[in-house]
Amino acid sequence: MKNKILNIKNLSKSYGAFKVTDEITIDLHFDEIHALIGPNGAGKSTLIKQIVGSVKHDIGSIILDQEDITDLTDVERAKIGISRTFQVSSIIPQFSAIDNIVLSLLDKSSKTFQLFKSIRNNKDLYSNAKKILKEIELSEKSDISASDLSHGDRRKLEVGLALAMDPKVFLFDEPMAGLDESGTKMMINLFKKIKTNSPILLIEHDMDAVFALADRVSVINYGKIVATGTVDEIRKNELVRDVYLGYEI
Amino acid sequence: MIIEKIFNKWILLFLFTIPVFGFVFEEPYYITLTTKVVILGIAGIGLNLALGYCGLISFGHAAFFGIGGYVTGILSFHALNSELMFSWPFVSSGSSDMLVIWPIVILSSAFLALIIGLLSLRTTGVYFIMITLAFAQMLYFFAISWPNYGGEDGLSIYMRNSLPIINTMDPLTFYFICLFWLLVVIFISAKLINSSFGMAFQAIKQNEERVKSVGIETFKVKLLVFVISGTITGLAGSLYTDLNRFISPSVLNWQMSGEIMIFVILGGIARLYGPIVGAAFFIVLEQTLGGYTENWQFWLGLILILEILYVRTGILSLFEKKFKYEK
Repeated sequence: MKNKILNIKNLSKSYGAFKVTDEITIDLHFDEIHALIGPNGAGKSTLIKQIVGSVKHDIGSIILDQEDITDLTDVERAKIGISRTFQVSSIIPQFSAIDNIVLSLLDKSSKTFQLFKSIRNNKDLYSNAKKILKEIELSEKSDISASDLSHGDRRKLEVGLALAMDPKVFLFDEPMAGLDESGTKMMINLFKKIKTNSPILLIEHDMDAVFALADRVSVINYGKIVATGTVDEIRKNELVRDVYLGYEI
Repeated sequence: MIIEKIFNKWILLFLFTIPVFGFVFEEPYYITLTTKVVILGIAGIGLNLALGYCGLISFGHAAFFGIGGYVTGILSFHALNSELMFSWPFVSSGSSDMLVIWPIVILSSAFLALIIGLLSLRTTGVYFIMITLAFAQMLYFFAISWPNYGGEDGLSIYMRNSLPIINTMDPLTFYFICLFWLLVVIFISAKLINSSFGMAFQAIKQNEERVKSVGIETFKVKLLVFVISGTITGLAGSLYTDLNRFISPSVLNWQMSGEIMIFVILGGIARLYGPIVGAAFFIVLEQTLGGYTENWQFWLGLILILEILYVRTGILSLFEKKFKYEK
């Protein structure tokens, strides 16, 4: 228990007779990347939504850093250290890239309700935002409106927004979808670096990235975890090959 | 953006000069009209904070305009008639001093906005529109059936409320009092829009789920915006009562909410000076077309349809584009 930062027990959610997640038990250790893979519609993103609190689960519990957060709202969970990216890029389209990052820094720096001081004059916030933009290789695009960024850059910005929150855990939902080779490489290196501070629960369809990054992998199918293990164990698992990976791997 | 700033300065210049011309050429009518533009502009700026910048489509801002108007009217009515207003927890016979009335108006409007906001902001979209409309209509029907303060006929105050030293009965003086408030409201709104709080509420308009995900309590942010917005509109209601020396339930009606919304849409949603331009356009239209036909609002509707179809971001953006092409 002590080495678990996030511990999810028996999490279930049904829409009518359809069970989207079925008694899911999964955990995240300190310093690790735990990948969650499975076919489309298996319940991966719904699980993320339940962990962040935007979808209410029916039964089960969520423990973050030994604190039961099951009854907390989505905003409270974000405040105490759960940071996420969205499956479909969710940024503030009319804000520049740097303003998107600054928005993400507001709560941590207790500046949200600062009513009359110009945000532009807050050099600390903007210099922190610049550091994050540098990490995600978007420094040169800091003043470009987010809606004008390419798909790949938006994915990077999503990760930047999560980084800015300096959370206890990251929940990344397909962060590498649509990235080119250099973008994927950058993300892999970045994730390896940040996992020591904040472990990552990673949903990703790019199996090369998953196998390069993950310390553990869980496979979800029809809302149930069907296997959990190291990359090698998952590669060799017959059931996993059957439901997701295929026999070529 | 720079061109819009220049245009905004022109708007202020017009607001300073037109009433002075009215005074010099002894045409107080123009002073009154410009005073009305300024007051309705304040109401519009209030709504614009909620609607334009935070995406809260309130169809009940008449409630705040009306509460500001009625608080002013009732306080003044008791003071001018030397009638006891209440005797517990302290004895009060109202007041006709603007320096007393304004803080009470601000507190009353803020309180009403807090109550309405607490209940209505739990909903979104069409439900939010309907619940804000319902609150305003409740107050409208209450005012109609409240005989103590004129009921359907409204409440007249035979003298404009006063300020120390200044003669508020003078149209030009009262105009500059209203203009002072407009400048205060513009200053406060500009500060808010450019602050970190402003960043949060403008982000909420675009993507509330994202804002929540970075740990910002969007309900509190929206509530505060709604309260500030309602308070500004309430202040406009107070000045409107003093301008007309009369208040009636019609200012609480849904039509008033619609008109304030029209000022915002006409002038330019999420443009600081947009509601002033919208209010000016509305009043010019009312005065010119109204002279030819009782159904001048038909033409207003037509203009609004054309604007929404072809301009969308209001009259100010039209000027901006024109200037850009000239460049």
